[in-house]
Amino acid sequence: MEFAVKFGFDMLAFISVMVLIVLGLGVIASMMGIFNFAHGELVLLGAYTVYLSDKAGLGTWPGLIAAPVVVGLVGFGLERTIIRRFYRTPIIAMLGTYAIGLIIREIVRGLLGGHYKSIPEPVGGAFSLGGVEFSVWRSIIIATTLVVIGGTYLLLARSSIGLRVRGALENPMLARACGISTSRLYALTFTFGAALAGLAGALIVPLYQLSADIGIRFLVQAFLSVMLGGVGSFEGPVLGAAAVGGLAAWLPWVVTPVLADPLVFLIALAIVRVRPQGFIAVGRL
Amino acid sequence: MTATTGAAPPVAARRGAFRILPAIELAVLALLLVVPFLLADRPELITLLTNVVILSLLALSFDLCWGFSGIMSFGQALFFGVAGYGVALVGRDLEFSQLWATLPLAMLAGGALAALLAAFLLLGRKAPTSIFVAFGTLTGAYAAERLVAGWQYVGAGNGLSAIKLMAFGEYEFVEGLDFYAVALTALVLVYAASRTLVRSQLGLVLAGIRQNEERLAFFGYRVQVFKAVVFSLAGMVAGLSGALYGYHQGFTGPSNLGPGLSTTAVIYCLFGGSGTLIGPVLGTVAIEVLSYVLADIDAIRQFWPVLLGVVLLVVVTFQPTGLLGLAVSARERIGTYGARKAAR
Repeated sequence: MEFAVKFGFDMLAFISVMVLIVLGLGVIASMMGIFNFAHGELVLLGAYTVYLSDKAGLGTWPGLIAAPVVVGLVGFGLERTIIRRFYRTPIIAMLGTYAIGLIIREIVRGLLGGHYKSIPEPVGGAFSLGGVEFSVWRSIIIATTLVVIGGTYLLLARSSIGLRVRGALENPMLARACGISTSRLYALTFTFGAALAGLAGALIVPLYQLSADIGIRFLVQAFLSVMLGGVGSFEGPVLGAAAVGGLAAWLPWVVTPVLADPLVFLIALAIVRVRPQGFIAVGRL
Repeated sequence: MTATTGAAPPVAARRGAFRILPAIELAVLALLLVVPFLLADRPELITLLTNVVILSLLALSFDLCWGFSGIMSFGQALFFGVAGYGVALVGRDLEFSQLWATLPLAMLAGGALAALLAAFLLLGRKAPTSIFVAFGTLTGAYAAERLVAGWQYVGAGNGLSAIKLMAFGEYEFVEGLDFYAVALTALVLVYAASRTLVRSQLGLVLAGIRQNEERLAFFGYRVQVFKAVVFSLAGMVAGLSGALYGYHQGFTGPSNLGPGLSTTAVIYCLFGGSGTLIGPVLGTVAIEVLSYVLADIDAIRQFWPVLLGVVLLVVVTFQPTGLLGLAVSARERIGTYGARKAAR
């Protein structure tokens, strides 16, 4: 029983990480029809911010708070200068974002000198509940994820910005005719998605070792989640992330860990192949 | 009859006009034939040149996918790497490395694997989106790299080294002019075959698919089958390239089948100019030679991959036709198809 609870908790923490990463990718994909191949590297950038602040002797907290802001600003800059050229050509966008990801990854690799760095948890230790030990940091990740999901949902469903976003999603041309600046909305969306990626990177870096290649792993898993869940809805990517995250956390217990990752990809790809519209198919949001 | 005569005038009008692409092709071939003799006393440059020729094959295989059939493949290195591991294992476990058998087998392995992947990604009742295909190939390469890096039988993270030398009868090929000759022969043969392929009726269908996939499907072409066929052929080319690379380096490792090398192939091809056959070769030559020349400067060597990323970004954003696009007109890049002799 104790094992089951602990295992469920770890799985939940892992799923939370996936949801955080996927939410940013999903929002950008739904809103602008652009699959951001640099998303994994935005996560990496968030993680790197925490590393920098830790290395500068400030501790991890300033980095943790700065990460979403910094990565959001980077995202904003990228959208204004490069991404906006690609809205008409989603396939070229894929290549372009991939190139951006490559640049970020290799810069970070150069700066890290190809080493693995571990970063301490900002809040270490564990608390005990009903005789079971829970890691404090993982609990914080789960709580943050819940807050972010709730906040994003409220933003989209209840605020006036959310109304405009949904309008622009439904019919961009009509939205423009109504005086909504879709160009500004797209910039905002991309910034938001990037900031979420930065936050995710900052939160997870104590759990993983920081290396330049963590981005691609998260990119692959996040992509699968978005495709699995279906583009265009809010719930879809979250559900997809839960499925992929759950699978990725559970499979290593059943098969050898070497096989687990490829197997997750294979299963998820097969499902997407059979059901390309994803779990939730509602057109575009 | 009227249809044939109707098609004739533009061909006749263009006859005699100077065409740049064949000239470039001839120039590159001449260079590749002559330069090694000029460099005969610099073995390290011969090695570099052999690498360039072998990697050109990989770039060519990516071009067949992207430039000619619109499949964005981030996984060409998968077939490359598997063939490399294949010849390494055959050499180690069977002590066999006769090139007349291993090279065709490597092509077969690459082609078969590509066909399998294409069947999974492309074929089926529902046509996949191009994003899905791109992502599927990337995932394939990534998963393969992870798998191989954790598999003791194939040397795990260390890869396989001291690959048995490629041989023909008793003769063994080491790095040098004779290996270069083998690689160049392979490149010329593959190039000639690709040239025929993309100017054939099949090439015409592929051009149609690139222009308007839906319309071609409406005409009754089974678009996904065509793509799968070209993808498999490209897999064969990548396999050949990988086998030669393995023999030449005497080593193969997990990074040889991952997204990293796949991306390099993408950069070679787009930099040179995708959609033409000589483009990827030019791109490979340009980038590899630049990399060799600039490697002496420390500051640049460390951030060379960043530069490559910038090159990719600039090409994608501002110059989608690559280096060749600067010299060759769109009309000539697209070219003509099929039975030109009949039209004359």
